[in-house]
Amino acid sequence: MDIFSNLVIGFSVAVTLKSLAYCFVGVFLGTLIGVLPGIGPVATVAMLLPLTFKLDPATSMIMLAGIYYGAQYGGSTTAILVNIPGESSSVVTTLDGYQMARQGRAGPALGIAAIGSFAAGTVATLIVALFSPPLATIALKFQPADYFSLMVFGLIGAVVLARGSLRKAIAMVVLGLLLGLVGTDVNSGVMRFTFGAPALAEGISFVALAMGMFGVAEVIYNLEQRGQDRQVFTSKLGRVLPSRAELSFSKWSIVRGTALGSILGILPGGGALLASFAAYTIEKKVARAPRDFGNGDIRGVAAPESANNAGAQTSFIPMLTLGIPSNPTMALMIGALMIQGIQPGPEVMTQRPELFWGIIASMWIGNLFLLMLNLPMIGLWVKLLAVPYRLLFPAILVFCCIGVFTINNNVFDLFQLVAFSGIGYVLLKLGCEPAPLVLGLVLGPMMEEYLRRALLISLGDPLVLLASPISAGFLIAAAALLVSIAVPAIRATREQAMKE
Amino acid sequence: MRLIVGALCSVLALTAATAHAQAQADYPNKPIRILVPFAPGGFVDVAARIVGQKLSEKLGQQVIVENRPGGNGFIAVTAAARAPADGYTLLMAHSGEFVVNPAVFAATIPYNLERDFHAITLVSQAPMVLGAKSDGPYKTLADLAAAAKAKPGTVGMSTPGTGSINHLAGEWIGLSMGVKFLHVPYKGGAPAAVAISTGEVPFGMAAVSSAMPQIKAGRVNVLAITTAKKTPVDPSWPTAQEAGAKDVDLSIWSGLFAPKGVPQPIVDKLYAEVAAILQMPDVKEKFAAGGGEVGGMKPAEFTTQIKREGDQLKSIVQAANIKPE
Repeated sequence: MDIFSNLVIGFSVAVTLKSLAYCFVGVFLGTLIGVLPGIGPVATVAMLLPLTFKLDPATSMIMLAGIYYGAQYGGSTTAILVNIPGESSSVVTTLDGYQMARQGRAGPALGIAAIGSFAAGTVATLIVALFSPPLATIALKFQPADYFSLMVFGLIGAVVLARGSLRKAIAMVVLGLLLGLVGTDVNSGVMRFTFGAPALAEGISFVALAMGMFGVAEVIYNLEQRGQDRQVFTSKLGRVLPSRAELSFSKWSIVRGTALGSILGILPGGGALLASFAAYTIEKKVARAPRDFGNGDIRGVAAPESANNAGAQTSFIPMLTLGIPSNPTMALMIGALMIQGIQPGPEVMTQRPELFWGIIASMWIGNLFLLMLNLPMIGLWVKLLAVPYRLLFPAILVFCCIGVFTINNNVFDLFQLVAFSGIGYVLLKLGCEPAPLVLGLVLGPMMEEYLRRALLISLGDPLVLLASPISAGFLIAAAALLVSIAVPAIRATREQAMKE
Repeated sequence: MRLIVGALCSVLALTAATAHAQAQADYPNKPIRILVPFAPGGFVDVAARIVGQKLSEKLGQQVIVENRPGGNGFIAVTAAARAPADGYTLLMAHSGEFVVNPAVFAATIPYNLERDFHAITLVSQAPMVLGAKSDGPYKTLADLAAAAKAKPGTVGMSTPGTGSINHLAGEWIGLSMGVKFLHVPYKGGAPAAVAISTGEVPFGMAAVSSAMPQIKAGRVNVLAITTAKKTPVDPSWPTAQEAGAKDVDLSIWSGLFAPKGVPQPIVDKLYAEVAAILQMPDVKEKFAAGGGEVGGMKPAEFTTQIKREGDQLKSIVQAANIKPE
């Protein structure tokens, strides 16, 4: 019962008054910045870093981790209420969550997001506690070819995910991939499509694009509606908590989302993002009728929200055991540990068990805090929608601008926001979903990086993609997925041809 | 009338002059910001935060670390070069901006150390390590060189990016041993170090801080360090020169800079304060945790080191034919 004694060590660290207080401060701040569109966990953790110099390592990590997963909770709030995904992993939540809010079901949407996240957080924390060392070795088994094939699978999934026209979805993914080409080429260091702007050297700003295309474009669209459409959105507030029926309806979606999120979160790089997209795609395929995805199906919120929260917890595995940051916030936490004189890596678990297990135990407590904090606040968030739109939209725009600016402290990013707001509005008018585009933008550069690295190491032999069983498995699954989209389409056209 | 104008002018000139003198005497009387060319979390950012925190305690003014990542550091460095030369905007940079970039981007680099900056002092420096998978075939640098000689351009070397100082250090070792490695760039130091431990590449060039988790876990062996001097992190690691790479001596450092034109008394004051901070035991300890040794050398000495390393790398870049543009 090694794990049991470990958890006892963990809880003895996490259930002290000081740890509890800092954990609460962390998750509270996290929720707050998650709700404010744009102000992300990176900026917050960076600002609080000097404060941690004076704390012991366990306490400071408990607080910083709380900010990180608290922001995941808060991020879904803006995605649902105002269609602004604060983090890439809450992009999918906008699809059904925002539709639910428009139908006056913002309360149940927020409620299921909180409940799903809590369930996922609990399971994922347990997974981190039980399987950290063996799971870390799984992540090490992934070679560049395997990552590439996983991402091919994810991208094809994104096409399946889009509602409406398949052609438009493919066009959006490809556009996203093309936008992803902007920036420094990892292999040669050549600047591609930057037109002399050093700010573009790191590529197009994801946050500016997501906020422009989802949030600001939606604001423009709403203003154009001259009140009628907005009325629907604000007058019916509806229930605050999901009903028993809704809960049992989305039970399995939460389970599936948690499983996917826990697995994909372990892989460094885009794990939580892929998890939320994959969870949504799978829900669309396997959920039982009646299915109403894209028009406010509660399972379209439950699955990706569970997945991204599970992924956020399990992404601590590569950070704590291998010292690999899976996202910028994690990189910052590694920095915080290094300032404390601790080198994140496998030896943390053996040499500083109180730190390792303390963080893990605090994650579960933090999730509990978040549930307690979020359920009563849902009523408050929903009331926010009753604020007249003429007051709400300038606030949204201001927060978007602040959020985009604080990422790099660079005015150029604001111009990107403006440009993508315009493009997003045009796409909205054309009926093109921006979600596949976002996935293309995020995964495109990574896919290219892994593919070229795989080929570089194999000295240009493309068979390397089939030589590894993991890679081959993902490619076969991707091919099967393609056929599954293609076949009904073929059948439909054939039927139509027969009729004529 | 003319008299009044004249009087006014002289009063203005006087106030301006006294204000100027006062600005130096009561420096700092408002918050100071330190620009950092990286996102929060890396070793340069951490260096800025450690020094910034202490500086703030000693000077009684807030010191704000402002991250301006991107564009090979061009964004932060040009912003610092253009900032008012009043001592309220400083720059924490690393070897990449002032040693590597001038060598690699000779044609397009938008700043110049001597024209745009005062080098205040070297804050910390550390060797890079040449690490190989511990249960892999290469136990010494000579093994590695022999394999690369037998099959040129096939033995993979991971680095945190094309044109990074790690890349140049690796090329330098290759050149001095007369062999060519296969350069495999990654996005950042940690993934490049993990790639060694998974066997994705047989060896790599990593900062001590990036490679340490893998070294401590016993998955990566250090075949050589890039400095001529041994490191206190582990004195058993051989230097590149001992391991057979002639002349190789390159560290990765972080240093504090101020825009050109900052009054000398302010530069002197900053140097004195930072040099004293770097001698504090807790500061030394924090840098040592990342494998670094604190600096504190005088501005002139620091400038000389930067120039020497820059010239050295220019010849490496030419010899290895590195052209990222």
